[in-house]
Amino acid sequence: MNKSSEKTKSTVTIDTSGYEVATQEIRSEAKRLLTEKIVDAVVGYQGGRRGGSAVPVVITDPDQAEKLVFSAACVNNLSIYLTKAKKEIRAKGKLAVVAKGCDLRALAGLMGESQFKREEVVIIGVTCAGVHRAGTQPGQPLTDSTIAKKCRECSVHIPEGSDLIVGKLPPLPNLSPTEKELMEKLDAMTPALRWEFWKEQFTRCIRCLACRQVCPFCYCEQCLCDRGRPQAVDTSPRPSGNMGWHIVRAMHLAGRCAGCAECERVCPMDIPLNLLNRKMAEELKELYHYEAGLKPVEKGPLTSYDEKDDQSFIK
Amino acid sequence: MPHDFEPKIVAFVCTWCTYAGADLAGTSRMLYPSNVRVVKFPCTGRIDPVFILKAFQKGADGILVSGCHPGDCHYMAGNFHARRRFAVFRKLLEFIGVDLNRLEFSWVSAAEGGKWVEIITQMTEKIRAMGPLTQFTDLADEEQWSGALGNPELKAVYDQV
Repeated sequence: MNKSSEKTKSTVTIDTSGYEVATQEIRSEAKRLLTEKIVDAVVGYQGGRRGGSAVPVVITDPDQAEKLVFSAACVNNLSIYLTKAKKEIRAKGKLAVVAKGCDLRALAGLMGESQFKREEVVIIGVTCAGVHRAGTQPGQPLTDSTIAKKCRECSVHIPEGSDLIVGKLPPLPNLSPTEKELMEKLDAMTPALRWEFWKEQFTRCIRCLACRQVCPFCYCEQCLCDRGRPQAVDTSPRPSGNMGWHIVRAMHLAGRCAGCAECERVCPMDIPLNLLNRKMAEELKELYHYEAGLKPVEKGPLTSYDEKDDQSFIK
Repeated sequence: MPHDFEPKIVAFVCTWCTYAGADLAGTSRMLYPSNVRVVKFPCTGRIDPVFILKAFQKGADGILVSGCHPGDCHYMAGNFHARRRFAVFRKLLEFIGVDLNRLEFSWVSAAEGGKWVEIITQMTEKIRAMGPLTQFTDLADEEQWSGALGNPELKAVYDQV
């Protein structure tokens, strides 16, 4: 289904030596924070069971700090563990979190939505040159064919605004913005053809709702789409309900999504979900000059208004 | 005069302005097409994009969302919020590939019975000329993806994903 692995062009390898430095610095910082009792727990990454892989971990003991790592396999957006929905993690007390630049944008968004206060969380920012894309075998080097789509057009390599920035940025190659190119192609299509495109994509959806589970902004205790009476969206994995779910999802994330593209990464059916989020972000920028995640703001574009807003579409 | 096709139009209206406006049109004995089904809401701010989606899925051919003029909202700012929400929702539907001619928005005050008649008449004529909306209802009849990609341009984009 996914042909991009077959397209073997000249590979550009991205220097990830900075990640070794970052790992050491994360370990010593986590150890310090835990021993000095500045925080009660650190949310970070540890090596997975398969060599070269990484999984999220919450540590509370300074001796466990040696477990923490940072590598190109650290794809997860850890900001999700700081939402009020994660009661068991919040119960541990004050938290520190390891965040890449893109995760930091989600953190800013969550702060704006009062999920936590800035002073409650210590942010260990990691200088990031890019992470693996979904489906990369663990331990692979970071090249232009194994790098995530979002990293190809990353503008937040250095997480400004963190409490501590670790690692160092290697010289970065110029990568083609594949998602932007795809977006332009879709925009140039006729609506009927776009409908066909999305129909193809959404009918594949199996409604595993991984996109919802992994999203830092999908922290509602009860999702509108799970409700049966009245039923807003058909819950069975069939084309009609799938279309509904993805439209509702895009709408509920409009103006909030920080663009971490976790939804797209976890999608088992390779549906390009971030295109929808990206489209919404582009429109909000154009209409209301708003960009999510640049700084924590209390009111997003869809929870505020201006009396002079455009209303050319209203009779 | 009978027509080949009578469109189903759903109007989501706010109770304070447009509903009263439609009421005025009725009590003034003004004529307008009976194709419109009026659904009353407390405010345009209460109208969730999900309702629009659901109406399309259940066979509406055209949808009108109508409420108080800016500044006249009974709840001070409901229509301002709705304005932003629908501006964005329109763009989303456009990106998904829905013809925006089928989704209209208007401000109709309690005194504008005439405007209500005009909007409903125009919209009914427009949707009648466009024919039924089958995108969403066809989708409901469909089972899982067949795997067939008919269009070469689509195939190229699909492979790129």
